Amino acid sequence: MQELPAKVSESLLELVDAQRFLAHMVVDDEHNLVQLGGQLAHYGLAELAVGMPVADQLPFMEGMLPLFETPFLIRSLEMPSGRIADVHLFADDSVVWVVLMDMTAEHNETQLVQQKAYDMTLLSEREAKLILQLEAANAELVRAHTALAESREALLVTHKRLQQELLEAERYVRSVLPAPLTEPFVLDWLFVPTTEIGGDSFGYHWIDAEHFAFYLLDVCGHGIGAALLSVAANQTLRSQALREIDFRNPEAVLNAMNLVYQMELHNEQYFTIWYGVYHLPSGNLRYASAGHPAPVLISGMPGGPSEARLLPAKGPILGMLPRTNYIAQSAVIGAPSRLYVFSDGAFEIERPDGSMLTFDEFQAALCRPPVDGESELQRLLDFARDTRGDRVLEDDFSIMKLEFR
Amino acid sequence: MMQKKICLLGAFGVGKTSLTRRFVDSIFSDAYLTTVGVKIDKKQLDVGPVAVSLVIWDIAGEDEVSAVRTSYLRGAAGYLLVIDVTRGQTLEVARSIQARVASEIGNIPFLCLLNKTDVPDWDIGAARIDALREEGWNVLRTSAKTGEGVEQAFVELAQRVLA
Repeated sequence: MQELPAKVSESLLELVDAQRFLAHMVVDDEHNLVQLGGQLAHYGLAELAVGMPVADQLPFMEGMLPLFETPFLIRSLEMPSGRIADVHLFADDSVVWVVLMDMTAEHNETQLVQQKAYDMTLLSEREAKLILQLEAANAELVRAHTALAESREALLVTHKRLQQELLEAERYVRSVLPAPLTEPFVLDWLFVPTTEIGGDSFGYHWIDAEHFAFYLLDVCGHGIGAALLSVAANQTLRSQALREIDFRNPEAVLNAMNLVYQMELHNEQYFTIWYGVYHLPSGNLRYASAGHPAPVLISGMPGGPSEARLLPAKGPILGMLPRTNYIAQSAVIGAPSRLYVFSDGAFEIERPDGSMLTFDEFQAALCRPPVDGESELQRLLDFARDTRGDRVLEDDFSIMKLEFR
Repeated sequence: MMQKKICLLGAFGVGKTSLTRRFVDSIFSDAYLTTVGVKIDKKQLDVGPVAVSLVIWDIAGEDEVSAVRTSYLRGAAGYLLVIDVTRGQTLEVARSIQARVASEIGNIPFLCLLNKTDVPDWDIGAARIDALREEGWNVLRTSAKTGEGVEQAFVELAQRVLA
């Protein structure tokens, strides 16, 4: 600059002054303003007063004096007018020159660029953070999925084992059921538990050469608990394990069974039972019931005219009351005839529309003439399933048929 | 009246301008407008029996390409070092600035402000904050949005610079 002619320097200064709205202040070593010049009004500094402390009038000068570095630049400082100025401080002997140059346009441009850059950076930071959170969540999900898969595997193993045990239990329940008879009368049965294992059970055996006992019981509920009780009760009857009880006497049997199988001693479970004793020489049937559905006796040749009648007997459900007095009934079973003993699951069937099969409808199904080559009891099961609209019934389906020819 | 220069320092976008606006004008805006250069404000307050006028230098935040000019702190009586609790890296920026100020300007009083405490998604755990306190930093929680701790921060710094 020193080599430039004075006219050039002055011309350049005029140019800068015009473009940058130069203004200046001079501060003495007492930190008072001693001189003002240039376009101070452009910066809202027209009211500055000479002879007064500079820091009281220009806050940015607080702490700046004595000048520790010269020249010193404060970039892009917002002035009272709102204009943005670069503030140049120069020490000159005992005074300090403060020169303002308008940089508003550059400031605004820089701000625009910087704003975009910062916005982008903040977005990237947020994105990176979200990605980290997503990765953490994903890792957590994978861990949970793995744990779930392991649990599922363990559950499957347990389920398989339980299924196996249920299957074995069902086999055992079925194993206590006697084989069908063909002499001196035909006795057939069908047992279809609603779950893998049911609460129904039945049995029959010769008490002596003349007396034939047969019975069917239905424990409340289904599953292992009900099955255990039904098998136990069945075994009691089959092995005639009631002390000093004449098993030819149905009322004595049920009264004794009631004492043995009180519900508070058997996991709050109770059951219905029908117990009958058929006297072969006389054809007389004595029977008692503990809340069990009445059997149906159909007299007449299959396919011919027939008469159906119930064999009812009153008595409370077994196990609910401590003292009972079951009363036996009797009926003479003529030939030809068919006697059906069953659990309520054989006829208490809800149709898909919500209506219930009536007992009369069930009885009518019992009376239908047999079809050659077709199991009558299987046909009854099919009838029940058709009524239900499903192969799986709501309750155990148990039925015994005694056919006297 | 006694006049004291204080500065606000920190990474960009931590809320230095918002804290100043909250303290000086009691206003807050969610809109983010970056600071270029310096904004200077002034506010009077009473520190006990002493009336003091704070000259507040709100200095453009530090980013990856431009560092805070520590020379701006010449003549400052103290400073507020601001951290955005939702951006963990701003704590490291604050550490870096504090080290440079201590080296170039000296150990003048400062407070560390954990700003944006109203946002639930913190990125700075208690252990890192405890570590700052163990190093002797005075750490305050602030929210320019709700006003939490803002007045207290400026008053406490004023008390320290006057002590």
